[in-house]
Amino acid sequence: MRPGFTAMPVTRRKLQTTTVLAYVILIGVCFFNLLPFVFMLSTSLKTDQEAYAIPPTFWPKQATLDAYTQVIVWTNFPRYFMNSTIVSLGTALLSTVLGALAGYGFSRFNFRGRGLYMGLVLATQLLPGVLLIGPYFKLLAAVGLYNTYLGLILAFTTITLPFSAWMLKGFIDTVPEEMDHAALVDGCTPLGAFTRVVLPVIAPGMVATIVFAFLLAWGDLLWALVLTSGDDMAMVTLGLSRLVTQFRIVWPQLMAGSVIASVPCMVLYLALQNYLVKGLTAGAVKE
Amino acid sequence: MNRRLRRELSRAVRTPFGSEITGNMNQSLASKVLFRSIRLNTGFAFALPCLLLLLLVLGLPAIMAVANSFTPIWSEVKTFTLDNYTKLLQDKTFWESLQVTIIFVAYTVMLHLALGLVVALALNADIRGIWLFRIIAILPWTIPDVISGLVWRFMYDPTAGIINYFLDRLGVQNPYIEWLAHPRLALPSVILADVWRGYPFVMLILLAGLQAIPKELYEAARVDGASVLQEFRHITVPGLVRMVQVALALDVIWQFRRFGLVYNMTQGGPGNATDILPLAIYRQYFKYFNFEYASAMAVVLAAIMIVISIPYVRMMVKRT
Repeated sequence: MRPGFTAMPVTRRKLQTTTVLAYVILIGVCFFNLLPFVFMLSTSLKTDQEAYAIPPTFWPKQATLDAYTQVIVWTNFPRYFMNSTIVSLGTALLSTVLGALAGYGFSRFNFRGRGLYMGLVLATQLLPGVLLIGPYFKLLAAVGLYNTYLGLILAFTTITLPFSAWMLKGFIDTVPEEMDHAALVDGCTPLGAFTRVVLPVIAPGMVATIVFAFLLAWGDLLWALVLTSGDDMAMVTLGLSRLVTQFRIVWPQLMAGSVIASVPCMVLYLALQNYLVKGLTAGAVKE
Repeated sequence: MNRRLRRELSRAVRTPFGSEITGNMNQSLASKVLFRSIRLNTGFAFALPCLLLLLLVLGLPAIMAVANSFTPIWSEVKTFTLDNYTKLLQDKTFWESLQVTIIFVAYTVMLHLALGLVVALALNADIRGIWLFRIIAILPWTIPDVISGLVWRFMYDPTAGIINYFLDRLGVQNPYIEWLAHPRLALPSVILADVWRGYPFVMLILLAGLQAIPKELYEAARVDGASVLQEFRHITVPGLVRMVQVALALDVIWQFRRFGLVYNMTQGGPGNATDILPLAIYRQYFKYFNFEYASAMAVVLAAIMIVISIPYVRMMVKRT
C-alpha cells in the first residue's frame, strides 16, 4: 500500500464530482431564473394578436417594438415613471440623511437608552404597512398631504429609514473612531467631525444606502395604491397594476412596461449587491 | 481635505486615546473629559430627527390603529369595545386568511432557504465564469415583486401562458390547466412564483456567509481526509448559522408583509384561496371601509410578527 499515491487521484475525483454537481445546479438555476425574463421580453416584442395565439408561440414570429411605443405614447406611463423617480429619489435622500445622522449617533455615542432606541428603530419593520395605511391615510387627508409627493415620500420613509439607519451604522462602525477624535481635538463640532471626516470615508456605503432606499420605494405598491387618487399621481407599480386589472389586458404593452420599469432596478441592484449584503447583515459576521 | 485628514490621522496615532503614557498627556486627558461630557446628549441629538420622524409617520399611525381597533365600527362616538376582536374570532374568512398567510410564509421561507442554500453552495464552488452565474442567480430578486406577479400571472395563463405550452409540448393531453383559478392549485402556484422572486436574496446572504468561512479550515479538513459531507457538517454548517438566522428573520418579516405579488396575481382569489392577511386587511380598509375592523385584523398580524421576531431584534441589538 502506498497511501501517498492513492490520495491524489481520490481528492481530484472528489473535486470533480462537486464541480460537476455545481455546474448542473447552476445550469438549472439559469433555466429557472431566466425563463420568466425571456417570456417577459419575448411577449413585449409580440403583436397583440400573437400574444393571444393558441397555441402560444415562444419567440415572436415577427419581432416589433410596437408595444413599447404604444405604452410610451398612448398610456400615461412616462408620467408614472416620472412620479416613481421623484418619490423614490425624495425618499432615498430623506431617509439617507436622517439615517446617517442616527447611524452616527448610535455608532459613536453611548447615551442613555441607546440600545432601546436602536431596537425600536429595527422593530419598526415589524409593523406591517397594512397596520398603518388606514390611520396614515386619515392623517394625510387631515393635513392636506393626500395625493402629494411629500405624503408619499413620508410614507415610504417608514419602510426605508430603519434600513438606512442600521445599514449606515454598520458602515460607520468600520471607520476607526480615532479619526473623528482627532477632528474634535482640532476644534470640529461633532457634526463637523461627522460630515468632514466620516462621511467621505463611507461614501460608497452612502451611495449603496441611497440606491437601496430608492429601489424599495420604487418597488412598493401598497402605499402608492392607498395614498394617491387619479392617474396623474400613480407610480409605475400602480400604473402597471391598473393595466392588469382592466377589462382587457394587453399583455405586450404590459410586458413592455414591465421591462422598462425593471431595467433600472436590475442595473442598480447588481451594482450594489455586495454593499447590500454587508449593510443588511451588519453585525452578523465579525469582521 | 485629504492632507488635513492625514494630519489628523497621524496626530491621532501619536496621541492615542486611552493611553496616557505616550504623546501629550494633557491634551489626551482634556479630550477625554471633553468626550465624556458631550457623549451623553450629542448621540441622542444625532438620533433625534430619525426617531421623531419615525414616531410621527410610524408610531402615531400605529397607536391610532390600535386605538381604532378598540372602538365600535362605523360609530361617531369613540367608546372602548372588544367587539371587533370578538367578531374576528368568529369570522371564518379571517381564520382562513390567517391559515393561508401562515402556509404562504412557511412554505416560501422554507423554500427560499433550501434553494438559497443549494445555489449558494454551488456558487461558492471554484468554477469558470462564476460571475455570470452569480448575476443570473440574483436577477429575479432585483425586479419589483409587482412585476414578478405580472409576469408569472401571464406564464400561468391557461391558453396564452408558457407553462401550459410546455406541458403541451411534453405531451400532456389537454393541458389547459387554470393554475390561478383552481382553488387547490392557486396557492401553490403563487408560492412557486414567490420562491422564484425571493430565494436569490437568501442565497446572497448565505453566499456572503460561505465566503467569510476561512479557506484554511477546508484545507486542514482535506489534509485530515474528511469527506465532502463531513466538511459540510463540521465546517460549513457551524460557520453559516448566524447568516441563516439573519436571513430567516428578514425573510419571515418580509414575507408576512408581502402584498404586491399576490395582489397582481390573484387579488386573493379564487374565493379566498390565496387571500393573505395584508390583502384581506387592505380590502377591509379601502373596499368595505370597515376601518375599525381592519385595524383589529392588522393588530393581530402585527402581534404575530412581533412575537416571532423579538429574538431577532434582541440578537441584533445585543451584537452591537
